[in-house]
Amino acid sequence: MSKLIELKGITKSFDGECVLNSINLYIRDGEFITLLGPSGCGKTTTLRIIGGFETADEGELYFDGHEISDVPPHKRQVNTVFQKYALFPHLNVYENIAFPLRMKKFSEEDIKTRVTDMLKMVALVGFENKSVSTLSGGQQQRVAIARALVSHPKVLLLDEPLGALDLKLRKDMQNELKTIQKAIGITFIYVTHDQEEALSMSDTVVVMADGEIQQIGTPTDIYNEPKNAFVADFIGESNIVDGIMLEDKRVRMSGHTFTCVDGGYAKNEPVDVVVRPEDVDVVKPEDGMLTGIVTNVTFKGVHYEIIVDIGGFKWMIQSTDYVAPDEKIGLFIEPDAIHIMKKSKYSGMFGDYSSFSDEIDQLSDADTAEEF
Amino acid sequence: MKHFNRVYLILIFGILYIPIITLIFFSFNSANSTAVFEGFSLRWYRELFSSPDTFEALRNTLILAISAATLSTVIGTAAAAGIYRMKSKLAKNAINSVTNIPMMNPDIVTGMSMMLFFVALVGILSIDYESIGFTAMLIAHTTFCLPYVILSVLPRVEDLGKSLTEAALDLGCTPIQSFFKVELPNILPGVISGFTMAFTLSLDDFVISYFVGSSNFQTLPLLIYSMTKKKVTPDMYALSTLIIITVFIFLVVSNVKSGKARRKESHK
Repeated sequence: MSKLIELKGITKSFDGECVLNSINLYIRDGEFITLLGPSGCGKTTTLRIIGGFETADEGELYFDGHEISDVPPHKRQVNTVFQKYALFPHLNVYENIAFPLRMKKFSEEDIKTRVTDMLKMVALVGFENKSVSTLSGGQQQRVAIARALVSHPKVLLLDEPLGALDLKLRKDMQNELKTIQKAIGITFIYVTHDQEEALSMSDTVVVMADGEIQQIGTPTDIYNEPKNAFVADFIGESNIVDGIMLEDKRVRMSGHTFTCVDGGYAKNEPVDVVVRPEDVDVVKPEDGMLTGIVTNVTFKGVHYEIIVDIGGFKWMIQSTDYVAPDEKIGLFIEPDAIHIMKKSKYSGMFGDYSSFSDEIDQLSDADTAEEF
Repeated sequence: MKHFNRVYLILIFGILYIPIITLIFFSFNSANSTAVFEGFSLRWYRELFSSPDTFEALRNTLILAISAATLSTVIGTAAAAGIYRMKSKLAKNAINSVTNIPMMNPDIVTGMSMMLFFVALVGILSIDYESIGFTAMLIAHTTFCLPYVILSVLPRVEDLGKSLTEAALDLGCTPIQSFFKVELPNILPGVISGFTMAFTLSLDDFVISYFVGSSNFQTLPLLIYSMTKKKVTPDMYALSTLIIITVFIFLVVSNVKSGKARRKESHK
């Protein structure tokens, strides 16, 4: 797979505020790549720069080896599925999908074949003459996808396309999008703040925060080998504990020395240690490497979410066995469940569950209840 | 209280419509009198249709109203689209205030300033005022109609937002194509209501036309006013009656249409 799009040192600020700080990224032909990050991290701006709706202040943008910073959007071989679909309300479903073909002066016959193919692909046959305003959110989404794909672009940009749909529909559409991408084999650049969506759909995930790329990798890499505290916290749940690397494969944290599988750090180097909640086993206090008092238990369906106070630091543990609050329990952690990260500017900001409590949940529930 | 409501309502409608009904009534009077009704006749209508002056004025008024409305709609729509795209908030507000001045300004001030301007222009170019009669009127009318068009189009442009335009550009439109194929069809209601407003304003403008107008370009309001100096003849009642009936038909048609549209909308 060759490099189709390449961003080199892309920098952008709005009103003096830096939104993108020297982004370097390449996107291969035919891959499903996701830009993942919290709102305001610059992921949408990156997408809009690729689409041609924003111009970078600095840096170069290559498409198929050509610099395209000055190419207007209508001349780029890139189409976008917008966050709010942006369907044309004055045209019906058929004409919406036919729109890009009409702009490219396709013959009426070709338009008909292509639009019909698209309608089949997104399962909207029979909706040709409907007004787009009568469609449900999911159907509008499908029309937007069909319209963006009908002119066979080389790249499809998707800006949080499932954001407005309910959970069940989101899951269905995730599968469908992935299927479509595999079937037509073009590059999808997908923007989302939903980490689960990113992990389940992508070939490559780009985690962004504060206008910078934090980590690029496959979903498994990103989950199992997060580069810093931000990534570890943003992707899934993590306990991030201060530790000291005594020597290769020996780390000390929370007053206990653990065996781990990582190495290559300086002797006694301070590090961030990540332990995923599902990798911790609950055992009897005398068998545990660490002991703590349970402060909170929440039933989550598949498992219980248990908050344990260990020397003032609160850990989150997911276990299928019930433990009672205020019970003293032991924790057992396998060496390969421990992941070591270098200290970063995000150290100490994430991964402590002391602010986690049911009370806060209830308060925020009450707030939302009032709004409705 | 209930009785008071009814009386109040009757009073309001009476004050509104009795003068109009009187006017219609006397337009069918066979005598040349505003006091005595001597019998039904279409005499004044016949006289109206045989008077070349009135027809000339009516024609002028319509030509002026249509061209002023068209011109101000084109300029106003372009202006609204441009104002929406302005990046600097300060400049946007400034332009908005400046375009609103002709609307706030008393007609008499606008009229006088227009007259001064055209007199000065004629002086500088050393041409006859008569020769720019229509042009002067057209410029004056377009100017005072413009803010109303902007006022009715700008909210539509703002509602439409940037996303549809971006989608159009993304799907292969040049900016010009995107305006005509996507933006214009969606702001059309605002454009049409702007046009209608401009047309009506131009049609019945008297004050500004009085200052700017020249003897070789008479509009209907100017003609009627010049007649009142002598005596208003009942053929003007006949003309007013015809105008009232036209407006009434327009209103009924547009109300029925929008009612149908609303019913269609609620069916969805």
